[in-house]
Amino acid sequence: MMDELELLKKDWQKQGEQLPKLSYDDIYKMIWKKSSSLVKWIFYICIAEFLFWIIISVLPMNSGEITGKGADFVKATDWVLQITFFLVIIYFGYQFYQNYKKISVTDSARDLMKKIIKTRKTVMQYVWFNVGLFALTMVVVLLEVLVFDPPKELMERISTADSTLLAWLAVGVFFAISIAFFGLLFWLFYRLLYGILLKRLNENYRELKKLEV
Amino acid sequence: MNKELEHQFVTELENNQNIVHKVCSLYTNDRDAHNDLFQEITIQLWKAYPKFRGDSKFSTWMYRVALNTAITLYRKSKKRVKTQDYDSVIFKIKADEYDNTQEQQLKLMYNAIRQLGDIEKALVFLYLEDKNYTEISETLGITEVNARVKMNRVKNKLRTILNP
Repeated sequence: MMDELELLKKDWQKQGEQLPKLSYDDIYKMIWKKSSSLVKWIFYICIAEFLFWIIISVLPMNSGEITGKGADFVKATDWVLQITFFLVIIYFGYQFYQNYKKISVTDSARDLMKKIIKTRKTVMQYVWFNVGLFALTMVVVLLEVLVFDPPKELMERISTADSTLLAWLAVGVFFAISIAFFGLLFWLFYRLLYGILLKRLNENYRELKKLEV
Repeated sequence: MNKELEHQFVTELENNQNIVHKVCSLYTNDRDAHNDLFQEITIQLWKAYPKFRGDSKFSTWMYRVALNTAITLYRKSKKRVKTQDYDSVIFKIKADEYDNTQEQQLKLMYNAIRQLGDIEKALVFLYLEDKNYTEISETLGITEVNARVKMNRVKNKLRTILNP
């Protein structure tokens, strides 16, 4: 085996004249081309994720203005959610930028992969935070509507149903299923997106890490 | 942009382009992908060049950037070679230089290397380029002991591929 490898080494180092040869001008033209590296892809996707959740939060959630005895409580809750949201966005944005800036192609292969994964993780946490906040907002809005401004049709149906408890249970199950459905869609989308994008990186990183054991 | 820096960089890369071509031929399987990867490596080298202080040789510094780009950053052409129909210039062995068995042996070796994983390829590449274990371990970010252990495993793996 060693002999074969040594033979290969000699052959490998002799291959110079068989390699392609690019001219000065060829190379000069190349340095002005646009990169299409993984880091660039991740950067753009992360920016898109930040924007997506900011837009979602800015969109008006409930159409009608709530008046009456609960209005102050509702407004206060909305305010707290909004302020928390923006503080967290600033925190994650800063973290993301710091991690992204540290990615350097002159690092060792392992450090480079580690930093990309870390940058990715920050944004993933940001996304999970948003999913949680989104679910929370949904629940708050739902309660607000049911408590302060219940739709007449629904209330009539529930009161005329054979069992009031069963009717309420049905409403609850319906909401649980719709939340689970959106959650599943979301999860699938992420699996697909990052599965494709990071499959190779994760495999290689695992292989390098395995060496440490 | 600094004209002098551009000139300096392009000249250095022109003189050392063989390293990049060898990496490209290991990690791609057709001419287009080869050129594509070469371009991405060139861009990455150029972006990192202003920070190159010259405390190591330009070529040493290139190994790292070229391998990082090939292993981690490069996105296009994810297809990996399983079968062997790549007729790149690099793996053509001149028949008159070797006797038949040797030629056959080399062909088998090159085929076997193309079936290895990304990290294993990097290891074999650095070995073929006559890098010592210190440099290999620093480039990949593993300890020297682990580099040795892994290299032995890769050699065994090559043996299995050659004699199934």
